[in-house]
Amino acid sequence: MMPSIPKLPAKSYVLCILLIVVCEISTSEVPRPRGVPLSHNPLYNPAKDFVCLDNSLSIPFSQVNDDYCDCPDASDEPGTSACIHGTFFCMNVGHTSTYISSSRVNDGICDCCDGTDEYVKGKCANNCQELGQSAMKEAARQSELLKAGKQIRASMCEMGIKLKAEKKDKLVIFAAQKIEAEKIMREKEQIKKNIEELESAALEQYRQIEEENKRIKQEEENKKNRQEAEDTFVRFDSNKDGIVEVSELQSLHTFDRDRNGEVTVEEAKYFLNSKDSMSLEDFVVEAWPAMKPFLMLDEGLYKPPQPAGVGEVEEVPINGEEPTTEAEFEEEGVNEEEDEEDEEHPEEEEEHEETNPEVTYDEETQNLIEKATAARSEFTEADQSVRDIQSEITKIEEYLNKDFGPDEAFAPLEGECFDYMDYEYIYRLCPFDKATQQQKSGSSDTRLGSWSKWSNQNYDAMLYDRGQSCWNGPQRSTTVAISCGSENKLTSVSEPNRCEYHFTFETPAACYKATTEGIKDIHDEL
Amino acid sequence: MARAMRLFAFALLVAIAASVDRNNFKTCDQSSFCRRLRKVEQDNSKYILNLDTLQVSAHSLEADLLNPDATFKFTLTALAGNTFRLFADEIKPLHKRYKVVGALDGEPKLTKLEVLERTKQEVVIKCGDSKVKLIAEPFKIEFYNKDTVVAVVNARGLFTIEHLRVKPQEQADGNEELPKEDPGAWEENFKSHHDSKPRGPEALAMDVTFPGAIRAYGLPEHADHLALRSTGPGATDPYRLYNLDVFEYELETTMAIYGAVPVLYAHGPENTVGVFWHNSAETWVDISNSKDTNVVSSIVNLVSGKKDENKVDAHFMSESGVLDVFVMLGPKPADVVKQYAALTGVAPLPQYFTFGYHQCRWNYNDEDDVKNVVEKFDEGDFPLDVMWLDIEYTDGKKYFTWDPVKFSHSTVMLNNLTATGRKLVAIIDPHVKRESGYFLHEDALNNDYYVKDKDGKVFEGWCWPGSSSYPDFFDPTVVDYYSNLYSLDKFKGSTENLYIWNDMNEPSVFNGPEITMGKDMVHYGNWEHRHVHNLYGLYYTMVTMKGLQARSPNKRPFILTRAFFAGSQRYAAMWTGDNAAEWSHLAISYPMCLSVALGGISFCGADIGGFFHNPDPELLLRWYQVATWLPFFRAHAHIDTKRREPYLYGSDVQMRIRNALKLRYAHLPMWYTQFWEHSRTGEPVIRPLFYEFPEDSNVLDIDNQVLIGKSVMATAVSQHSASSASVYLPGGSEQLWYDLSDFKSYTGSGYITYPVNLDKIPVFYMGGSIVSRKDRPRRASSLMHDDPYTLYVSLDNNKSATGTLYIDDSESYEYKKKKYLYIRFNYKDNTLTNSFIDQDAKYPTLSWLERVVVLGASNNFRYATLKTPKGEDTILQVSYDSEGRSLIIRKPGVSMREKFTITLH
Repeated sequence: MMPSIPKLPAKSYVLCILLIVVCEISTSEVPRPRGVPLSHNPLYNPAKDFVCLDNSLSIPFSQVNDDYCDCPDASDEPGTSACIHGTFFCMNVGHTSTYISSSRVNDGICDCCDGTDEYVKGKCANNCQELGQSAMKEAARQSELLKAGKQIRASMCEMGIKLKAEKKDKLVIFAAQKIEAEKIMREKEQIKKNIEELESAALEQYRQIEEENKRIKQEEENKKNRQEAEDTFVRFDSNKDGIVEVSELQSLHTFDRDRNGEVTVEEAKYFLNSKDSMSLEDFVVEAWPAMKPFLMLDEGLYKPPQPAGVGEVEEVPINGEEPTTEAEFEEEGVNEEEDEEDEEHPEEEEEHEETNPEVTYDEETQNLIEKATAARSEFTEADQSVRDIQSEITKIEEYLNKDFGPDEAFAPLEGECFDYMDYEYIYRLCPFDKATQQQKSGSSDTRLGSWSKWSNQNYDAMLYDRGQSCWNGPQRSTTVAISCGSENKLTSVSEPNRCEYHFTFETPAACYKATTEGIKDIHDEL
Repeated sequence: MARAMRLFAFALLVAIAASVDRNNFKTCDQSSFCRRLRKVEQDNSKYILNLDTLQVSAHSLEADLLNPDATFKFTLTALAGNTFRLFADEIKPLHKRYKVVGALDGEPKLTKLEVLERTKQEVVIKCGDSKVKLIAEPFKIEFYNKDTVVAVVNARGLFTIEHLRVKPQEQADGNEELPKEDPGAWEENFKSHHDSKPRGPEALAMDVTFPGAIRAYGLPEHADHLALRSTGPGATDPYRLYNLDVFEYELETTMAIYGAVPVLYAHGPENTVGVFWHNSAETWVDISNSKDTNVVSSIVNLVSGKKDENKVDAHFMSESGVLDVFVMLGPKPADVVKQYAALTGVAPLPQYFTFGYHQCRWNYNDEDDVKNVVEKFDEGDFPLDVMWLDIEYTDGKKYFTWDPVKFSHSTVMLNNLTATGRKLVAIIDPHVKRESGYFLHEDALNNDYYVKDKDGKVFEGWCWPGSSSYPDFFDPTVVDYYSNLYSLDKFKGSTENLYIWNDMNEPSVFNGPEITMGKDMVHYGNWEHRHVHNLYGLYYTMVTMKGLQARSPNKRPFILTRAFFAGSQRYAAMWTGDNAAEWSHLAISYPMCLSVALGGISFCGADIGGFFHNPDPELLLRWYQVATWLPFFRAHAHIDTKRREPYLYGSDVQMRIRNALKLRYAHLPMWYTQFWEHSRTGEPVIRPLFYEFPEDSNVLDIDNQVLIGKSVMATAVSQHSASSASVYLPGGSEQLWYDLSDFKSYTGSGYITYPVNLDKIPVFYMGGSIVSRKDRPRRASSLMHDDPYTLYVSLDNNKSATGTLYIDDSESYEYKKKKYLYIRFNYKDNTLTNSFIDQDAKYPTLSWLERVVVLGASNNFRYATLKTPKGEDTILQVSYDSEGRSLIIRKPGVSMREKFTITLH
């Protein structure tokens, strides 16, 4: 309901230090309503009615600071808590002037360093002088720090730019090497292809013989199976009417699938493909395949295949083990990814090596095989060499794609690591690589995140994510808040949310612009 | 061992992954006594009251009550406030039966009764407007309000007391005489747990029929609607009362959760009757409501022209104890609830700050974390009164210690909080870590303070610290010892501004049957845990209360508890436990708190945002808006959730949460006054609509609306992306309601569709009320103590209104020495006056009257005059808002301790 008051600068700086006396005189000489900044004082004239600063209302001056809110913009109550959206001006002579919310006026707590927000005299000590002086000292220290930091930063930038240039040079060299290596690889590939054609033709006849052998074996198998089915049919057909019926199966305990001592009609029908009876031909085709495993089971010839999941459960009967296994899987998963990269080009030639040990080849064929094997090996070598070069190129390209901030200032941090110790852990930040945690007593690292990106365009926060998964929680991640400091230093670590870490890191690389402004002002005024 | 521990931790984890595991908790069928009692044959009662043995005294009747196997002494006592107590115990019991101690607020006040009629078959007595008819055979008791029968005990003949007996020998020859016993009568297994039941069966049951009743309420705590549903064999399980730590509890079930108050209210348009089943053992209650049974019978009645008779049947079943029942005859809801409060007591006046905003999380990591959170609240202009610490502040879950690294300067932290007017609440749980060198464990072992197992060895269970034991708070020596742990020299690092949160006091035992203590564990006085289970949480808070009062004799304690029983209101506030960040859980917070409030415990709240999982911003801000209108106002979150402090959100979400908080802070004087009045009258602070509008049949099932006293009505908005809410405005066309957001007036003519946006939920001031507010919200409530008041006068149809305001020092017991102001405001004939209800009470308040806002005033007033006994008449400016809905009287400026008259002209 209250329109907001005109925006005032959050802070304004009073020229003091040498002018303290003047300030004090001025505050005592120029009467002003409580909580009004000097600049607004002319608007509060006791001789006239007061006009709300938004011009919405005119009220008798006696209603200014009378602890009742009349103006929608709160301007009639600069020195009380009456208006909920009002502000109170702390002059804070000797220190920085500020505005506080009206809700803090006369609430028993000293908010302004000059104590003017509390009505009871003596309730609050005026400690603006001390605060102002230490603020000055702090500002001076910051300024020194910044100056030193900036110098270091300059050399870091220089180094960063140099590093980048070196990498670029290397990239050119590798690119040339790659072209050469690819040429060799292609030659080797052609040689391999030619010899493999010959080898393949020679092996073809052997393959035909093999397949014929297989076919004969299969036929014998089928015949045997059919005979078995027919024998079983005859055995089951107890009334010898050439048809196997449900009732006939019910007398056979083999079909008692639920092991309750009785073969129900449903159980029997299951084996007869839901039919009541079956002729021999139907039996062989429809019933036999389902029945056979049970008969074998009965004879102790057969163990049913166990689904993988069931087996695991049996080995780990208590659910309790699951998280561990999950965690293991995840870790394995990470490794798998790396493995996969290596396997990106499946080695097609492997199938050629499936030579049947039972077959002996004639001398000519054997010779061809040996030559082909040699050609394959040479090709693999050449191919590997291309890939090695490519991998170097990829690495450099990744580096070149990394954003090391303005002027490459952060580049020298790459490849370095910084530690922070609390009472239980050692935390480690390796910028542009990873964040980790290590128990002081233990040896193994927990990855709190891998380099992901800058959190924003100001280059004051980094994100490391995809860390190790938490027990029953998300993957760990870490944000790193970056600030200007005279040396590279990990200054604090916290875990505001479970598995979400927050590091603070100081580095000269962050010593530029933003931080300078506030300090400059004071210096200018001095 | 390490492996076992790991497996155990894992079992917990599995539970975390899903919602409630029903298999961990018994159904009636899995509980021997519930099975036995539910099987008792209806309309075939074997109980006879032998009226030859009748003895009449001034306040009571006494006679032998017989069944074929045993004789009981039955007593009916007349109590003040239209209440009767039924009591029955065995005349010569094999063992003493347990009689509850600690729930009642002292001995109930007796009243005289008068015998009207006496024959061999019945006795009729009279007591004020009530009559009671005792019928000998079969045993039955009818309760009358004037000449209307409103409750009948043993109407269905289910009354049972299993007398204690010698265990029958297991005879090899197979005895034909013994009736077939329930297999669980003498020992019972549940999952892997064995209950040895050394005393055998000792259960009891009683049915009550309430003719004319159309709804049943009460029996908290259940995560269910306010109006009780019908239960019955083969359908819904009975409402179960057995304090349990239920992980991720389900909604809309009759399953037991953390607390138990065995009070039932049967409500009809003419009469509301209450039954307080005074029993601390496991209890199940079947409810049958004629509205839910049998549509056929109503058709038959329709055809036959017979009037459909409304009734509610209840069947109370407990595992052990004497029969001790209070029947409260109302006749109106407010009367019955006050009658119940007369028995079990009221919440003593809490400190003012306890109604402010509480910020909790499992866990704020360390002292810096606490400091930063408070600073962020201040930066974001979010009022905050109390910071909370969950279990991680301790040194390895050893209560009464602080983590030596993270909380090594706890007094500095506490003093930092109080420097801006804040307080700290820390958790203290009953389980004690079994670690040698831990003083509490050593003391407890050396002095024999722990609960024992059936073989007399100290009971060992599993809880947060790992292996734990449980002090026996039924032992007065333990009470003295443990309460003394709260003294400042014992609880090193604490200060007088530390208050206490008692959690896990069902008690929670991770590896016990149903996550609690086995029933055959043994307490002080040789009582088994089965006899006293539901009292454990209450006794624990009683100990805390004692400790805090001894520590700070002139500061009112604040204690939050999860487990509770009848009478817990005398010691602690409660919250609805581990809810979830779901809209359905937001919705259930009103019905749950309303039910608990009817059970005597008004100081109720639900974790804002939901404990488990992450709320989206809309759910979170809605939760703040809805929770503004429940007494206990705390945000809390599970350790696995993302942080959700209001300052972490976008500016629009922040703005809405800030507004909700500020609205709450503006109304703190109202909450404080309501709790003051509760402490004097026993009336609940939050009320369902049927409480104030008992004749309105439309309000019976409304539990998403809550009345605060007789002045505010809030409706929960608990749907995602809601653009409107259905609001029932009760009271008829004579009743006015004023929308709090724009002062638009409505009449109480039933359902309206109220448009909502993210800025507000429907909240109304009741026409005829005067609400005192402090419209200058600050960082913390303590900083507002001297701030001026604004009165919101909501006129009724006769252009009049009334309201009260209570003022004192906000924290001490000085009010007991009459250092307070209890003010009544009246508005009538265009004139607002005040008067002091307790004229001998005085408090030198610095607060004054800043403004009067009159809603529903006619639009032709030009000015007002203020008269005080001393001063001259003063002219006051008046103005209207642009819509003419509110009239504002500018700055009367009179002190709240002065008498005044303000007249509009």
